[in-house]
Amino acid sequence: MSSVATTQIKLTPERSRPSVRARLQDALPKIVLAPSFAITIVFVYGFILWTVYLSFTNSKTFPSYVITGPRAYLRLWGWTFDSDPPSSWYTSIVNMGIFGFLYIAICLALGLFLAILLDQKIRGEGVLRPIYLYPMALSFIVTGVAWKWFLDPGLGLEQTLHQWGWTSFHFDWIKNKDFVIYTVVIAGVWQASGFIMAMFLAGLRGIDGEIMKAAQIDGATTFQLYRRIVIPLLRPIFLSAFIVLAHLAIKSYDLVVALTSGGPGGSAWLPSNFMYEYTFKRNEMAVGSASAVIMLMTIVAIIVPYLYSELREKPR
Amino acid sequence: MAFLEIDGLKKRFGNVEILKGIDVELEKGGFLVLVGPSGCGKSTLLNTIAGLEQITEGEIRVDGRAINDLHPSKRDIAMVFQSYALYPNMTVAGNISFGMEMRGVPADERQKAIDKVAKVLQIGHLLNRKPSQLSGGQRQRVAMGRALVRDPKLFLFDEPLSNLDAKLRVDMRIEIKRLHATTGTTIVYVTHDQIEAMTLATKIAVMRDGEVQQFGTPAEIYNNPTNLFVADFMGSPAMNLIPATIATKGNALSVVLQREAREPITLPMANAPAGLSAFQGKPIIFGVRPEALTDPEGAERNASNIATADLHIEVVEPAGSDTFAVTNLGGKPVVARLRADANIQPGTSTPLAFNLTKAVFFDPATEHRIR
Amino acid sequence: MSAVATPSRPAASQNASSGMSTKTLNRIVIYGLLALFAVFYLMPLFVMLVTSFKTMDEIQNGNMLALPRAPTFDPWLKAWGETCVGLTCAGIKGYFWNSIKMVVPAVLISTMLGALNGYVLTKWRFRGSTLVFGLMLFACFIPFQSVLLPMATILGSLGRFGVTLQNTVGTSFGLGNPTVNLVFVHVVYGIGFTTLFFRNYYEAFPNELIKAAQVDGASFFQIFRRIMLPNSLPIFVVTVIYQFTNIWNDFLFASAYAGTGDSMPMTVALNNVVNTSTGVVEYNVNMAAAMIAALPTLIVYVVAGRYFVRGLMAGAVKG
Repeated sequence: MSSVATTQIKLTPERSRPSVRARLQDALPKIVLAPSFAITIVFVYGFILWTVYLSFTNSKTFPSYVITGPRAYLRLWGWTFDSDPPSSWYTSIVNMGIFGFLYIAICLALGLFLAILLDQKIRGEGVLRPIYLYPMALSFIVTGVAWKWFLDPGLGLEQTLHQWGWTSFHFDWIKNKDFVIYTVVIAGVWQASGFIMAMFLAGLRGIDGEIMKAAQIDGATTFQLYRRIVIPLLRPIFLSAFIVLAHLAIKSYDLVVALTSGGPGGSAWLPSNFMYEYTFKRNEMAVGSASAVIMLMTIVAIIVPYLYSELREKPR
Repeated sequence: MAFLEIDGLKKRFGNVEILKGIDVELEKGGFLVLVGPSGCGKSTLLNTIAGLEQITEGEIRVDGRAINDLHPSKRDIAMVFQSYALYPNMTVAGNISFGMEMRGVPADERQKAIDKVAKVLQIGHLLNRKPSQLSGGQRQRVAMGRALVRDPKLFLFDEPLSNLDAKLRVDMRIEIKRLHATTGTTIVYVTHDQIEAMTLATKIAVMRDGEVQQFGTPAEIYNNPTNLFVADFMGSPAMNLIPATIATKGNALSVVLQREAREPITLPMANAPAGLSAFQGKPIIFGVRPEALTDPEGAERNASNIATADLHIEVVEPAGSDTFAVTNLGGKPVVARLRADANIQPGTSTPLAFNLTKAVFFDPATEHRIR
Repeated sequence: MSAVATPSRPAASQNASSGMSTKTLNRIVIYGLLALFAVFYLMPLFVMLVTSFKTMDEIQNGNMLALPRAPTFDPWLKAWGETCVGLTCAGIKGYFWNSIKMVVPAVLISTMLGALNGYVLTKWRFRGSTLVFGLMLFACFIPFQSVLLPMATILGSLGRFGVTLQNTVGTSFGLGNPTVNLVFVHVVYGIGFTTLFFRNYYEAFPNELIKAAQVDGASFFQIFRRIMLPNSLPIFVVTVIYQFTNIWNDFLFASAYAGTGDSMPMTVALNNVVNTSTGVVEYNVNMAAAMIAALPTLIVYVVAGRYFVRGLMAGAVKG
């Protein structure tokens, strides 16, 4: 044992010299990651706190840093339908409900339906799949421009059908304040459903073929096979697709602007449009910030449990 | 002083102790195999020798010099990985010379070293290929070439044969053994395959749960296992470990084995270990390897202590070179190893010979060997 | 929208077991539905395309779906070089280049940072690295409205500082330049995604290669440059395409931080062209402008669709 001690003593001065460099080497990964992390902390979390702070002030055109309490929130919730036209915040919230529900439900249903159809050993799948999916490559602005034209009563579908002789056909949702939000749903579904289809298709292709064979041997019909075996196995895809769609729905801003310019009297607004208008155009910064905080909270309620479970799955 | 010395090595992740005080040493030119079931810490131990993982306590010395604080590249070691870890973007030559390139060895010297190694391993025709264009055995050779070219003090092998098919594995095993014999390098080798351990090693460390269960030569480990775990783990087919009791017959001890539906077998022990007398009337574990339980004609001629008993054969497994017969003793299936041409039928009773010179005994409470 | 209402038919077809073989009938129904949906997805693009080649006269008197009788390239030329964006009437070409100047650096910087971050987060884990990743990942999902205003304030201050620098030192170092601002914003809010992509890719990258390189004496950066990067081409393509599409198509940041003047990106300019209320609306020019705005991402999609889809999936589903 004494020999061990002497070697250690002998080596001590030698060891301490590289340890400064070694320590730097050890810290290098953290040094590399630090700028990105700092940026995230400041520009995401810091800014969120800043926005939260502003929502409790009476900022108008310029930020004010005197806390005045939850006045902005009270104003938001104080505005109701009773006013005529209904307050833009209530319109935005109701639109969000309609748009969010229909957009997510239709995209999921249509995406799954198309994926199942395409999974039936279709000749020409290689041609059809990109056709269904390409709208996802377009910007919301281009999508909006295209559908605005297509849905315009004087230029688009209605006029075309009139020319073909169906003169009683009437379709003016895009100009109707009660229906304009549904045109946003149509354009949104057109854009995103192909991608949801691709997600489901990938999920279908990932299912173990032996499970399908076993179910067929057990006597399941095609319909039963999908209802009882395939769709339950696609549950994780449903979850992912829901997250993607919910996230897209809450962020949707461009589509409303390009398709409807906000609709007659702001009747197509979503909370994101409300936030933008109040913050940058109506000089109601505190109210705009409060609406942004509410949007964020909605996302947090959906995303955080999801991320938590995703990161938990493989504990390290 | 041994060439590789590992003293009181401990490794903790948070509160979990992965390695619980490892003491192992290896002479220069030796071949140490770390063997054990998955999760026993053998790969972690190898990684700490390589410097890929830090140790919490203890010291690792190579040639008298402590290396545990050195960067892996400064330890003068080379390592062959389970997946071979060949850089997929580089050619075979690039893979072999990458380490030299990192150390700033000039290009012409690198080329010479590559050629030399390529000749030894007969991979000269592969030098310009990418790893994806190689077969499993060729990848294995390149991985060894990458280690050889460094001419290190210590070679580390991390389950290098486990990704090969059975036949290739045997070929490569022989090749590694030949390489060791011709180059005289010192090797530490991790495997979960006890046959690899037996055939390659000059020293074996059997590990479980972060502890070395037994450290010794292959013959010591095989013939004199220190506890139930080592006895059970080493050897294929595994040692028969039969619950038994110790009785006294005259002034000699004997082992009593229960049989199904028949009276127990009593085996007189002529040369019982001294410790066994303390177990009179108590349960013990009686260990006998399949080759020490055979047909009376096939039994070892010069064994001093052989006892024969009639046993009911349940299953017969002809394996080509041998025939295995399965019987039941002490409530457990017991395997006997017979000559290939032994005339034996399942469902019959046959006399079988126990070579009691090779028998070992364990305390069921502590699982330790009774000596 | 008759196309959306049809999905109830396959169930009915299953009952029709007699007559023509059920199987053939099934195939006809399936192919029919698939073709119908293909029409649904292609229609807007088709209308946009044919309209962009028609004269105004033909648009006002003809059918939306009819092919142009006398195809003309004039609307495209006009959109590119003459149409009015706000008060400037010099076409959208300047804005197209604005977008290019913004997209290229933003994509390159955010992708490189993502690669480095992914490398650290998988191969050099440390206590708390999962938390760091979680925080960066969450940043991908926030509605950007919640950071829009503070960022505007900061960019405004930096712009004023840039003016001061311009007056004193002679150069603003890009501070206050809307394109530089947008590059910065897109890098900041893009690294979450790029980091996610590379982390998931490198997670499956064998650790033994890193160990082997360490034993070979390669340093942190040498391992990254010599081992990781040469084996990262697929994820680079995916990330670059994803970022390119996202940043090119962005409208919110563009309209908030470069919404007026000569430096607005393509999306904002297109919106201004289309929603302008002055003069006669030239639908053919609008459609041509929309097509020009859509072309870069469409080309990327056509050329590298496989990677495009993989990028979307990687952003949606973890590893």
